[in-house]
Amino acid sequence: METVLQLLISGVLLGGVYALGAMGLNLIFGVAKVVNFAHGEFLMIGMYAAYWLWKLTGLNPYAGAPVILVFGAAIGWIFYRCLIRYTIYKTEMTQVFATLGLSIVLQNFALMLFSADFLTVKVFTADWESIPFLGGYVSTTRLVSFLFAAVAMVLTLLFMKRTYTGRAIEAVSQDLSAARLVGIDVNKVLTVAFALGIGLTVLAGGVLVPSFYAFPTVGSSFVLISFVAVVLGGLGNVAGTVAGGLILGVIETLVGYLEPDLKEATHFVLLIVLLAFLPNGLFGVGGAEKEGLK
Amino acid sequence: MNLHRIDYRDGDALGAVLLVAIAIGLPFAVADRFYLNLLFLILLYGGLASAWNLLGGYAGQFSLGHTAFFGIGAYSSTLLYTMAGVSPWLGALGGMAISMALAFLISYPVFRLRGVFFAMATIAVGETVRIVLLWYRRIADIPYGISIDYKPGFGRMIFAEPRSYALMAGIFLLLVVGVCYAVSRSRAGYYLQALRDNEDAAQAVGIDLRRYKLIAFLISAAFTSLGGTLMAQYVLYIEPSTVFNTTISIDVALMSILGGIGTLWGPLLGAAVTMPLQEFLRDWLGSAGAGAHLVVYGALLVVIVMLLPQGIVGAWKDRSAKRRRHGGQHARG
Amino acid sequence: MLEVKKLSKRFGGLTAVNEVSLSVAKAEIVALIGPNGAGKTTLFNLIAGAMPRDGGEVVFDGRNLPHQGSAATCLAGLARTYQIPQLFTSMTVLDTVLVAGLCRGSSIRLARIEAMDVLARVGLAGREDQASSTLTISGKKRLEVARALATQPRVLLLDEVMAGLNLSEVNGLLETIRELRAGGMTILLVEHNIDAVLNIADRVIVMDQGRKIADGLPREVLSQPEVIRSYLGDGYAVA
Repeated sequence: METVLQLLISGVLLGGVYALGAMGLNLIFGVAKVVNFAHGEFLMIGMYAAYWLWKLTGLNPYAGAPVILVFGAAIGWIFYRCLIRYTIYKTEMTQVFATLGLSIVLQNFALMLFSADFLTVKVFTADWESIPFLGGYVSTTRLVSFLFAAVAMVLTLLFMKRTYTGRAIEAVSQDLSAARLVGIDVNKVLTVAFALGIGLTVLAGGVLVPSFYAFPTVGSSFVLISFVAVVLGGLGNVAGTVAGGLILGVIETLVGYLEPDLKEATHFVLLIVLLAFLPNGLFGVGGAEKEGLK
Repeated sequence: MNLHRIDYRDGDALGAVLLVAIAIGLPFAVADRFYLNLLFLILLYGGLASAWNLLGGYAGQFSLGHTAFFGIGAYSSTLLYTMAGVSPWLGALGGMAISMALAFLISYPVFRLRGVFFAMATIAVGETVRIVLLWYRRIADIPYGISIDYKPGFGRMIFAEPRSYALMAGIFLLLVVGVCYAVSRSRAGYYLQALRDNEDAAQAVGIDLRRYKLIAFLISAAFTSLGGTLMAQYVLYIEPSTVFNTTISIDVALMSILGGIGTLWGPLLGAAVTMPLQEFLRDWLGSAGAGAHLVVYGALLVVIVMLLPQGIVGAWKDRSAKRRRHGGQHARG
Repeated sequence: MLEVKKLSKRFGGLTAVNEVSLSVAKAEIVALIGPNGAGKTTLFNLIAGAMPRDGGEVVFDGRNLPHQGSAATCLAGLARTYQIPQLFTSMTVLDTVLVAGLCRGSSIRLARIEAMDVLARVGLAGREDQASSTLTISGKKRLEVARALATQPRVLLLDEVMAGLNLSEVNGLLETIRELRAGGMTILLVEHNIDAVLNIADRVIVMDQGRKIADGLPREVLSQPEVIRSYLGDGYAVA
């Protein structure tokens, strides 16, 4: 029984960070209806950014979180203005392949600059690496990462529900023309959504690097994880993504315990199953069904 | 498919002759080893891209998981040969059968999905097959990388001459393009075009969407699988990371898009441009650091898809259509 | 020819079509009218098999038609057009009609010849090679009708086929519809253009908020107080 509890806790902690990464994706996909296959690469950028921040200034990712977030938002803003803006009115195929191309560029750029070495940031000394929690031991980094992710998500949710811009983002995600008709500056909203979405993703990467290794292709696994979390929670439903991420973290941890070699396949299988049988996700808010089915 | 039901048009015969000249003639015309290797790759990928194009261009379903079928083909023929002595010619058929079975299995859930989600689902399928193979490999104690002994023999699909391989690839290309041609000029071709343009309206005129998407999918999967076998027999070594590789999935899609999606010549043209380009980039930038050539490659993908989404053939068709329209304007009024 | 019994459709809490029954005799032209949101297009979609029913039956030429999707309905002999033309964007005018004709099993050559014939009947002769997306709205509507005709239906469902057309275009289309009926075609059409309805319909059925509220000869139905009330509100319903 203890093991199950351990696994659950581990899973939730992992899921929290997944949720943060997926939140960014949901913001972008849900709002701008833009497919971003390069999503994982922004997570990777976050990891490298955190690593180099630590290397150059000694600031660990947790202390440097605000810096990483702002950095991420800036990148998101640039990304939107230089590329995405032009793909919005093009066909889906164009968006898919354009962001796919970007993903290849970013992955290999990282490879060129940083080589294929696996990097991580050691935040806590050996004594503090794991701490007692609810009867078992948990990795400190995972716990702290989770806490950061949780705070970031709560703040984002508050932003979405309580501020004008946040609600404008929700409006645009539900009906772009209607939003325009009520006077919302759609272009500005999209830019903010992007900056925020990418910012959160980069932050997620930064917060992940103490627990996970950074390497150029690390993004590939995360992009699918994020998509699954988003579909699980329901497209456009930002709060649902949180649940989706947590569930995903738990499932992955459980499978990883039972059959480690198949752990990676969990996400893929789950995605196929979800898209095929539960496209609205678990919370049935016009998810893939409205957008994705015929 | 009844050959009488193919809607032959003027100019088709000429195109066929040209294609045969390329696929069969060039392998004999080229002598240099390096160029024969390049020719093999162009012809093989031309066929692979054409197979993808049947599903992606004609039926409008963009798969990014075709490497699954490629890998299945490569592993099926190789395992059957190295473990049971079965000739790769037969092994290829085995691979095709398995690939078609997989395609059939996933068709029900994935065809309900629109564009992006379909792409994601196919990526997921591609990766799942790879992971399942890795897992199975450990259980069945199959080595990570499998080599095929170099023992030339037609029955073993191993050739001493690179020319023979190029010729085999050429015949593969002819086969795939031939089938694509037959499909596009038949009722299925019209149906695929209709369902690509507007699924609801297509259904309203009696088109069974699932059936025709499935036909395109099965043919596409089968030929991709065959291509995998051919590649395995050429390189004589396979491992999961080389035959179950997302890059393959992206490449066949990219070539079709670059050359002209939904056209007969597009995929081959795309392969003819992309393969030498990849070689060139590797040569030029290989020294600049690992991955430099891929940065350029990725950037090219972005540029092509943003500026020339209909590909080379598509753009050429557009221009000649415009010229025709302007010329005929007086006649129409 | 076509009989609809207590057809219903619900979308969550909204009952879009509420136990609607109607019948159309062979070679009859019946118009379905009603204010926006009455459920007319939904009813069409139900009959055409484009969406599953929540209740009721569709009987076509004496045979019960279970819900099997719009492709099966088309093959059974019921063709429909769309309110907003749903064209095959990459096809020429000829190919659009050709592909519809293929469902009857003809070879492509034969389907092509038949398509040219159909195009002539709707007045699009000479435009065969034109890209369908470049047609005017009148042309697109005619193309929709041609495409539906190519499937050799016995019943034609026309959804607001007059919308967006000017007077002469409307008259032209009415003429075509009359010719179709003369050839034995049964037609059920949704229309907002009351003049056109009075001009051509043998019978008029009125829907409001998912229910059928009137069914009879055009002039009689249009003077019924409930019908007037449904369009203009209580203030105008003078008996």
